Amino acid sequence: MNLWRLEWVRLVRTHRLLALVGTYVFFGFTGPLTARYLSAILGRLGTEGVRIEFPEPVPADGIGQFVGNASQIGLLVVVLVAASALAFDARREMAVFLRTRVRSVRDIVVPAYVVTAGAAVAGLVAGSLAAWYETAVLLGPVPVAAMLTGMALGALFLVFAVALTAAVASLMRGVAATAGVSLAGLLLLALLGGLTPLGRWLPTRLAGAVTELVRGAPPVDYWPAVLTSVVGTVAAVMVAVVVGGRREV
Amino acid sequence: MMISTEGLTKRYGDHVALDGVGLAVAEGSVYGLVGPNGAGKTTLLALLSGLRRPTAGRLRIAAPRHRLALLPDTPQYDPWLTGREVVSLARTLVGSPGPADRIDEVLAHAGLSEAADRRVGGYSRGMLQRLGIAATVAGDPELLLLDEPASALDPAGRREVLDLLAHLRGRATVLLSSHILTDVQEVCDAVGVLRAGRLLYQGPLEALLVGRAVPAYRVVLRSAIDPVVERLRAQDWTTDVDEEGAGRLRVGVRSLEAAQKGLPRVLADSGAQVVSLGPESPDLEDVFLELTS
Repeated sequence: MNLWRLEWVRLVRTHRLLALVGTYVFFGFTGPLTARYLSAILGRLGTEGVRIEFPEPVPADGIGQFVGNASQIGLLVVVLVAASALAFDARREMAVFLRTRVRSVRDIVVPAYVVTAGAAVAGLVAGSLAAWYETAVLLGPVPVAAMLTGMALGALFLVFAVALTAAVASLMRGVAATAGVSLAGLLLLALLGGLTPLGRWLPTRLAGAVTELVRGAPPVDYWPAVLTSVVGTVAAVMVAVVVGGRREV
Repeated sequence: MMISTEGLTKRYGDHVALDGVGLAVAEGSVYGLVGPNGAGKTTLLALLSGLRRPTAGRLRIAAPRHRLALLPDTPQYDPWLTGREVVSLARTLVGSPGPADRIDEVLAHAGLSEAADRRVGGYSRGMLQRLGIAATVAGDPELLLLDEPASALDPAGRREVLDLLAHLRGRATVLLSSHILTDVQEVCDAVGVLRAGRLLYQGPLEALLVGRAVPAYRVVLRSAIDPVVERLRAQDWTTDVDEEGAGRLRVGVRSLEAAQKGLPRVLADSGAQVVSLGPESPDLEDVFLELTS
């Protein structure tokens, strides 16, 4: 047993991997389905005499519906799973077991970060593939390059979100506090992106990039956010290692 | 010296948890750290293990960091790991060489062979404490820091821990904090008494006990004790005679020599049926209470 296997076992035995992948796959299948039949569903629910007409759904609507649902619930699950793995000081006795046996806190943080981020990306990829398949079946073909690029950008956003959670975990003690502050931080970034010209530079822009790319947006629009996400991820992991190493337990 | 500190101080805001502690723990010894709640024992162990940093003072440990193991008083592990996995992880983390069957060996010594493949979430507190000890010794550390290692164990488990500590003497250095003073008295070569962050005494156990020995005898009788008490109180070599119930007497004496001559005579003259008779050995608890009161 080593720390890499410990993190994998944590994901499997606590069913967190199932929750992660299950959430994304669920929305991957239901998103395009909702987009395809939304008009029919609302038509049956409509008031007598009132007729609601929607434009005929296109493939981008299927992917957009998936992203709309998964980027909220999925992100919540990712942050909760990441906080439970990275807030290893939450219980002092367990922190003592790990901290007194490693040469550096980096030995604890890096496996927890990489395995959790990998699981989050795996969940997103599984959900995206489900949404891609379902969209192709129900609404028509999706541009391959745009879809793959969008998935990569979405994955980069999750990698950043997990890194942010790692940094917050080095400042907070509990799992709930770590998850809460991380989600608040991501929400703040999203608000900043919506309200200020900073939006194209912020990592949160990448969360829904796949929808815009499938609609025809050029990938070059996202390079600023990619750059910020990469720099932010590296910086956040370094904060987690340095600040976590200085913490007294 | 395995551990030596000079003026070791730890403050939390205005509160002084440790105040100029100068600890000296010889290599290969078993050192007992005693003190009332809040004396600073856990803080001292945290500083020695590197979990906290001192506010002032110097600290030197002869063993490399990864050859040091700390066992907290209530060890906890991820509940979804098995006992075997916890010990295996402990060995891997310290990079301990040696045969893989060492894991089975330490689990067997801890009495956990049958529970080794069960998840620790189902372990009792005593089993967790024994698992903690197994995980601590599994890496063959040079220095063991044990915080109340027998506090959650039943008498049999406590005996096993004491035997284990005695077995480690000379092979590793052990620093244990304990409230169970009889355990400290049994296994430790040296003792340190902490109170309010200050080290009141440090040195060999014998020196601590002998220096504070109060001559007294303990007598247990099967017959009535009143006539015996009356005669004893009339002797000029007794200082006090306490009835402790159930035929038990504590006889304070001016000197052990005088008691050795006079006590059997008084008991014989009283026609007492003597169950047992012997000098009171001063114990750590008495000295501890005297030092920390």
